[in-house]
Amino acid sequence: MLFNSLDFALFLPAVFGLYWFILNRNLKGQNILLLVASYIFYGWWDYRFLSLIFISTVIDYLVGLQLARTTQAHLRKYLLGISLLANLGMLGFFKYFDFFLLNFVEAFTLLGMQIEAAPLRFILPVGISFYTFQTLSYTLDIYKGKLQPTRDFIAFAGYVSFFPQLVAGPIERAAQLLPQFERARVFDHAKATDGLKQILWGLFKKVVIADNCAIFADLFFDPQTPYEGSALLLGAFFFTFQIYGDFSGYSDMAIGTARLFGFDLMQNFAFPYFSRDVAEFWRRWHISLSTWFRDYLYIPLGGSRGGRMKQIRNTFAIFLVSGFWHGANWTFIIWGGLHALYFLPLLLLQRNRKYLHIVAKGRIFPSFVELGQILLTFLLVMLAWIFFRAESLPHALMYIQHMFSHELLSFPVIPGQMGALAMTLLLIVWFILIEWRGRGSLYAIQHWGKNRPQLYRWSVYIFLIFMIGMYMKTSETPFIYFQF
Amino acid sequence: MKKFLLHILQFGLLLTIAYPLLLLLWGAVFPQFLKPNLLFVQGGTGHMHTRMEEVKHTGEVDILFLGSSHAYRGFDTRLFEAEGYRVFNLGSSSQSPLQTQVLLNRYLNQLHPKHVIYEVYPGAMELDGVESAVDVISNDTLDTYAWNMLWDIPHIKVANTFLYVWLLDLWGGRKTYQEAPYKPEEKDTYISGGYVQKKAIPYPYPYLPKRNWGVHTDQLRAFEAILSDLEARGISVTLVYAPITSTAYQSYLNQEVYDKIFHQLGDFQNFNEKLPLVDSLHFYDAHHLNQEGVEIFNRALLDSLKKSALYPRSCLEQ
Repeated sequence: MLFNSLDFALFLPAVFGLYWFILNRNLKGQNILLLVASYIFYGWWDYRFLSLIFISTVIDYLVGLQLARTTQAHLRKYLLGISLLANLGMLGFFKYFDFFLLNFVEAFTLLGMQIEAAPLRFILPVGISFYTFQTLSYTLDIYKGKLQPTRDFIAFAGYVSFFPQLVAGPIERAAQLLPQFERARVFDHAKATDGLKQILWGLFKKVVIADNCAIFADLFFDPQTPYEGSALLLGAFFFTFQIYGDFSGYSDMAIGTARLFGFDLMQNFAFPYFSRDVAEFWRRWHISLSTWFRDYLYIPLGGSRGGRMKQIRNTFAIFLVSGFWHGANWTFIIWGGLHALYFLPLLLLQRNRKYLHIVAKGRIFPSFVELGQILLTFLLVMLAWIFFRAESLPHALMYIQHMFSHELLSFPVIPGQMGALAMTLLLIVWFILIEWRGRGSLYAIQHWGKNRPQLYRWSVYIFLIFMIGMYMKTSETPFIYFQF
Repeated sequence: MKKFLLHILQFGLLLTIAYPLLLLLWGAVFPQFLKPNLLFVQGGTGHMHTRMEEVKHTGEVDILFLGSSHAYRGFDTRLFEAEGYRVFNLGSSSQSPLQTQVLLNRYLNQLHPKHVIYEVYPGAMELDGVESAVDVISNDTLDTYAWNMLWDIPHIKVANTFLYVWLLDLWGGRKTYQEAPYKPEEKDTYISGGYVQKKAIPYPYPYLPKRNWGVHTDQLRAFEAILSDLEARGISVTLVYAPITSTAYQSYLNQEVYDKIFHQLGDFQNFNEKLPLVDSLHFYDAHHLNQEGVEIFNRALLDSLKKSALYPRSCLEQ
């Protein structure tokens, strides 16, 4: 089920009504309802893959209980191994099997040996990378002694499959989300209202910004059609906003939906395109994944301890693994590697933690230096997105080569679509202004009209709904991150 | 919780009032490229406004034409009138069966045709019907049939246009529009009876990639319902696949699938397989005949129909 679908528009109020009217103050009942609703939500897409979530849930629940019962180091390692093998095994099998097989065959072909092997071409279960990491954090935290296991299977199953963030995050830690399943939730008017606002803003980002940008990104990234350099630059620009609108829009809707049910999820995006360097960008982009890799990969590898070379190695490791997490394609690995290269000078000069607060805090405009830093970071990130979006490595390289041709300075002409192009650019400008104005908040419109009368605030929301009605793309397009 | 629900209700009421007002403002102030989900176009590309005005004052006919632009640009009413028939062409741009149903519900009893020539082509079955729905809504009356069509095509463009037209009609905002019979930009001339004649323009031979026709099950269902309804009323029907360029025709790989469906549903004639038309001589674009092409096609159609038992006798023959 997609957030931007009519199905979800009916599903959400129905679950909300049952949750607060029928099962209010009945924690067990509410948790069972959330679990059932989550399985329906996921099964709407393909019920067969519910079994994978269920298997992950059962294994990690049992492993968690056993880990708490034993103090023997080798047995604990063995139990952790079961959890890692089961979860990463399923992820690896569905997501990476064909990639390794094809590269294996290609490597042997290069050595002059022919191997016959056909890829399995499995359908990738939606959200498998997200819920696998979420459930892994539970066993890893128990193993490290940071968390006590739960005995409440329903609460744990609810934590693993919680429908607002099941398929595209934020990737929640058990220590953060699981206790919320275990304590009574009381309806909070302010929280629910805030949740609705965040859903509205997320929907705007998805159906207006991302879906309109997608039309031109798809057009210019079509490898069959040659475009001039300026059009390809625009294509990269549109994809940069498409992926931000799409993914951060999903996160906003997920966080907002969770708030309607009394849950707090972590902030996943913090205005990343206003970053002054790549290190800041990574503190603001897909925060739940970055921190997951920091806690469960970078720090166990030694983190910043053990000398500069080890730090560089560990940094490259998390960027490359992060790229590979996104997809079984060399384009994602190069995308991760490119970000590691961007990060390297900051690391060597020890400037990677220079910008910890939002730019131009307390001011309306940034300084010229800040503006230059923002633009440079944006361009670097945009260049890397070309690898992320391209269908293959040769396609990405060809795209960049053509983009930097002498036609880069020509005026892009797209017959029959110039009006739509102008409209999309205007929408992006409007969007940037709103994001800039709200950059100190959790999401851009959180404090819109905070000290103004209610009628003013409502007028703003109505205008936003009208903008959605006037500019949304009407086909139900899936979110990009569903494929990861 | 009570406060929350009360606020939702109040906000909903305010939205119900404010959204249409914003729609009116947007519709009046901004150019079309800045209002992509509001497609209010009186007249449109096919003289729909004039056709809808004329049909309201048309009496009984012998032959009624239905279909897409292939119909209103392909069946020259003058050629049929010269044979002694009273005819009307109720075609409209991208008309899909869902819009055909609306138009028939409105005008079939009034026109009371003896025979229907229904232009069919697989493209009409794969359309979502949005383009034609906003054309019908913009240029014809808003009634329960239009309202039902809105539910059949739950699309924001249809909903916005419907709401906008309803608001305009509240103070007669559409009544002042006058459509010129000749549109120099499109080189189109409206001919009484619903036909639109295009002044000959050279055909540019575009490249058309190979593809399959798709299918929209709602359209197929509506199409079958139309045929059943006409049969129940005792109106004979000929399904006609009007000529398109051979380049376009051959670019679709699954024509025979639809040919089979149309054959099963009634008396079907595919003129793409019958007429030796030349793309550069008889068409002005990939899908539409020029006047010379229309005349060849219509004469062939008349000859073919005269041999058919379904064909009504003209007043000249009577």
